[in-house]
Amino acid sequence: MEIYLGIDVGSVTTKLAALDSEDRLIGHVYLPTLGKPIEMVLTGLKEISKELPADAHVCGAGTTGSARYLAGVIVGADLVKNEITCHAVATMHSIPEARTIIEIGGQDSKIIIIEDGVVTDFGMNTVCAAGTGSFLDHQALRLGIDIKEFARLALESRTPVRIAGRCTVFGESDMIHKQQMGHRIEDILYGLCQALVRNYLNNVALGKKTELPIVFQGGVAFNQAIVKAFNDELKTEVIVPPHHEIMGAIGAALLAHEEMTDGNRDSQFTGFDAGGASYVTSSFECKACPNLCEIAQLALDGKVLARWGGRCDLWERVHPEGSP
Amino acid sequence: MFKVGIPRALLYYQYYPMWQVFFEELGAGVVISPTTTPAVLAAGSSRLVADTCLPAKVFIGHVISLVGKCDCIFIPAIRSVKNDVYNCSKFLGLPDMTRATVPESPPILDIDVDINRGKRQLYQAIYRLGRHFTWNPVKIKRAALTAWQTYQRHRQTMAGEKLMLSQVMEAREAGQRPPAKPEPYRATIAVIGHPYILFDVYVNHRIVRRLEQANIRVVTPEMLTVSELTAATARMVGGAYWTYEEEIVGAGGHYLQNTVDGVIGVMAFGCGPDSLMMDMVDRRAARLKSTPFMSITLDEHTAEAGLVTRLEAFTDMIQRRKKGR
Repeated sequence: MEIYLGIDVGSVTTKLAALDSEDRLIGHVYLPTLGKPIEMVLTGLKEISKELPADAHVCGAGTTGSARYLAGVIVGADLVKNEITCHAVATMHSIPEARTIIEIGGQDSKIIIIEDGVVTDFGMNTVCAAGTGSFLDHQALRLGIDIKEFARLALESRTPVRIAGRCTVFGESDMIHKQQMGHRIEDILYGLCQALVRNYLNNVALGKKTELPIVFQGGVAFNQAIVKAFNDELKTEVIVPPHHEIMGAIGAALLAHEEMTDGNRDSQFTGFDAGGASYVTSSFECKACPNLCEIAQLALDGKVLARWGGRCDLWERVHPEGSP
Repeated sequence: MFKVGIPRALLYYQYYPMWQVFFEELGAGVVISPTTTPAVLAAGSSRLVADTCLPAKVFIGHVISLVGKCDCIFIPAIRSVKNDVYNCSKFLGLPDMTRATVPESPPILDIDVDINRGKRQLYQAIYRLGRHFTWNPVKIKRAALTAWQTYQRHRQTMAGEKLMLSQVMEAREAGQRPPAKPEPYRATIAVIGHPYILFDVYVNHRIVRRLEQANIRVVTPEMLTVSELTAATARMVGGAYWTYEEEIVGAGGHYLQNTVDGVIGVMAFGCGPDSLMMDMVDRRAARLKSTPFMSITLDEHTAEAGLVTRLEAFTDMIQRRKKGR
């Protein structure tokens, strides 16, 4: 059976999706990255292979997410694509009429504008991580609330408090202040949701023309309180697609399928049971010029597979002997 | 030989052929600081308050790297190069800012360039600068004229032969003709911004090179003629207010309406004029809707992932748009 695999290794979670030759989703995995992208990719491969039929044959594999290059080398990806393209492709596949995509992940948030089935504009958050999943996680942890409880509590709010959303540092001190004044935790939590939505619309979506229908995806779309805050602020019903959390992986799989069909070649995919292989990452400072770049490298059984991080091409070409 | 140091930063990228020829014609040697490195930027930012813009920090770093390598450092204060057009305050105060922050620097050779005060004042300023090297006014005049002609030829070469400043600079340093860029390419993207951002590869994380590696033909503001830039600026905002407005608003306006597949604006975090000018281009792009525009703001961060993702997404968007899917 023909399988196209998409792997999205994000800052917080690792997602895998498997599609058949008709681009139907037949298996998916959602794991926390826990700062160990390599292990999680290997675990994810093992887990997804259990969901697939025995005669599954991977005809194309694509990687995306912030660790896309690393994951690409490990699995032998046929295609390494950025998150924006992957998300857009996946959404246009499942909801062809979508005009605006709101995507909020662990460390970044994006907006994608689609016209006539083509991406015409996009925006991403600037360096600040305010208004992303990590901020919600962090605040939930500080209040001792499980992130799954977060939405349920926040939705019970009747008089949400106003919290500064521009910057996490100000946001947090605002929250602490409100909590010490005696406001109810439900109201503070929903206030936080509203702040995140305001921050998103005023930062990431600034100057973008948000046409309907709007699709909301990414891990944060699990949070019903955020969905409600978006609906209230945009005065519409945003669509949360099924499998919204693995859209990046689906997009990578779709693009891998497209790439293999266009290129008419065999997949480089290394297999599901790379689990036994011992990948070692290390880094060093290049002293070839005064830039002193930090070069990271990935090795399998002592053989260097890839290097990253240089400001020039010196280390990008791989030399198994270890010297440029 | 008496050696004049020129920091490889800010207006060096605009005027270096003119400056170099002027001093060489007057019998001096010219020392240009090496390209920007993390150490140069770190040295510069340690001397200035945190709020200063990135290009100014880079400039001060280059001045520090010239200490002990030359007999004086040339730092002009360019107030205006056109009537009723104004420059950013950092350019006006550059010599004094340097004196205050780099006390160990060799003597600073400065010149006030202010066209608003008339051509006569400018000629006198050039004469005063030349007097440091010779008493002969004819020699100074000849040096200034040769320098000016060199600069005009330099601009015409780039605009006429559609050469990027970096190509011309590299060829000049290697003593060769600039090589032809390989064809064919997937798409053409205009990258607009000040030359001290676009051609300092440390500051901009090799934006141009990254695009070229993705088989993109890159066009930049200096490939346009002065009249193209002026006309586009007039169309966009009526006329320039800032001295280097044409290379952003003019180039942006021109490229948005002329045969490129996308425009990327690159600016430094903390640059006041840029934040206003880039917004004009952004708004025009939003109104025209024909050519996608993306702006990138650079600061001192060294992580490149965010930049790479944006560039890839932008080129993908253009590519898929062309293919119609």
